[in-house]
Amino acid sequence: MAEYTVKDKLSFLKAAAGSGRRLLAPSSKDGRVRLAEVTPDRVAFDYLNTHLSPKDAFFPQTEKMLAFHKDAAKPGAFVYQPLGLDKIQPTVVFGLRPCDARGLAVCDRVFQNDRFTDPYWKTKYEGAVKIGLACQAPGPNCFCTAVGGSPFGEDGLDVLAFTKGEGLGLKTLTPAGDEFLKGLSGLESGGAAGEMDGLKKAAESRLPGPLDLAKAQAAPVMEIYNQPHWKETADRCLNCGTCTFFCPTCHCFDIQDEENERGGVRMRNWDTCMSWLYTIHGSGHNPRPTKTERVRQRFMHKLKYIPLKQGGACGCVGCGRCVQHCPVNIDIRAVAVDMSK
Amino acid sequence: MTSLADLNQNIQTAARRALADGRAEVVFGYRQGTAPFTAAPHFARTPEDCGQFVWTSFARVNLAAYLPKYPGKVALIARGCEARSAVGQVVESQFPRENLYVIGVGCQGMVDPEAVLAREKRPIREVTEDLTTINLAGDGWTASLPKAEVLRRNCKTCVCRTPKDLADEMLGGDAPPLPADDFADLKALAAKPPQEKMAYFKGLVKDCLRCYACRQACPLCYCPVCFVDETRPQWLGKSNDAMDTFTFHLLRAFHCAGRCTSCGACEAACPMDIKLREFNRLLEEEVQKDWQFVPGASWDQKPPLTTYRPDDEADFIK
Repeated sequence: MAEYTVKDKLSFLKAAAGSGRRLLAPSSKDGRVRLAEVTPDRVAFDYLNTHLSPKDAFFPQTEKMLAFHKDAAKPGAFVYQPLGLDKIQPTVVFGLRPCDARGLAVCDRVFQNDRFTDPYWKTKYEGAVKIGLACQAPGPNCFCTAVGGSPFGEDGLDVLAFTKGEGLGLKTLTPAGDEFLKGLSGLESGGAAGEMDGLKKAAESRLPGPLDLAKAQAAPVMEIYNQPHWKETADRCLNCGTCTFFCPTCHCFDIQDEENERGGVRMRNWDTCMSWLYTIHGSGHNPRPTKTERVRQRFMHKLKYIPLKQGGACGCVGCGRCVQHCPVNIDIRAVAVDMSK
Repeated sequence: MTSLADLNQNIQTAARRALADGRAEVVFGYRQGTAPFTAAPHFARTPEDCGQFVWTSFARVNLAAYLPKYPGKVALIARGCEARSAVGQVVESQFPRENLYVIGVGCQGMVDPEAVLAREKRPIREVTEDLTTINLAGDGWTASLPKAEVLRRNCKTCVCRTPKDLADEMLGGDAPPLPADDFADLKALAAKPPQEKMAYFKGLVKDCLRCYACRQACPLCYCPVCFVDETRPQWLGKSNDAMDTFTFHLLRAFHCAGRCTSCGACEAACPMDIKLREFNRLLEEEVQKDWQFVPGASWDQKPPLTTYRPDDEADFIK
């Protein structure tokens, strides 16, 4: 893999935007930083992280999957028409934080694995060159290092960049990253990797040490499942969906048809396991009848089931969004400690 | 009250006393949060649990929202808005008065994190407070802000900062009263053409994710099944369609008309910082004007929109 430097961030972004790919990058709108399609001059650099996680770029809150209408020629029959997949453009995403890129990699293993391939995810995720921007000044709620990540982490990225004066240092991590940077003008070879090591150590030293998840991850599922602390945490949980909607690894959705007498649209929408509606059966039975089961599910999924299913990868990437936004201060770090007691 | 430490001590003592006297099996209050600008609702069942109670300016929810159908006797460490909402729960038959013991605390208002972040751009790593100021610390710097300058929007026009008419016992001194909301901005809006009003309210919720934190935090939203969650039939679409989102907020506002205590839990819980009270404020004024009713001010007066009197105004029926 290769390393490069550029003297001027803006000229790099202009080259990226001129590559024939759509540029998605953090930019400020109404006082809030979000990942959006922007012109190079609008790209933000002075942000801790985007307000919402970047999953929306690959897994939108509402995604239309297909349209259907009554077949005029054949009574009782419908005509189906796939939606959206043909409109997906090749993209370059600049400015992903390493925690979020790692979160997208967790989602990727859900949407593409030896059992399923989700075309809506695959087309967007694989069609994007993902350029991360390392965190040289991590935020107050950040804890990537507590869950196996790093402010200079490389999981899920094609290129990792860091700020170097007015310019950038860049390190390619995949063939797709190599290919993309090779095609851009204005890059000088070398001069990044050595400096990166020192910056990485400095940034990591400002973040918390690892959470002790070994016991929770080694214990049998039912032992953790039956722990008494779940009810206490659930007591104050409001069962709103804030944590799940802000989480870069929450990926659950609900498929709905919206129709009229002529036809309609099939779409999938973000769903949240915090809602009773998420698990209610057609019979009226609800296998997660109270807040306790729902709260337990969320944390078991992040800290137990995902590691079990994904070869040990933690389902929490330490972005800190749920800690910041939970109205009742349910802190996943404290829950992890309870699970490890 | 001389210091926050004294107030915390008084709250803890009152909570222990409520448990010891058998007035309550559980005391609802707050404990310190784990991150800047946070506090955790805390439910104490033992004298040791009571040692964690603190007075906080970062309470984002309304503790009365935990009352409906809560089993057993509850003591509520209550700000004015929480005391009023608890009264509302009793009046609306969601919680029995005899199971409720209100420990009122004079409140100078909650702090709006967004207002602090607008004033202080450096990353804030630690937030502490005393009675009238909040103290911020970052990498190699500290700063203080008077709480009065960074209050939550609803706290700036609070009409019940000292809930002594509602509480079973009071802690802390009286908080000086504030001028009530004059609704001037919304009255100006009400005079505008319908299209402008619609644009204003639609604009308010353009970033809504429909996470329903507002509804879940609201002490009035205790319906077993909210109309947006009904599936047989399904009343409302589940996507982020702007009209579906708007319908949710508009209908919720009408459900809350004449009941809202302006506690601001909806706005404080909203992760997108949507000014949700804008949907309710003018309705509050209408109810005050037409029925001389202030929600949560009386233990036995029902909200006007839940009652019928033959002499109710009916001139809108043609």
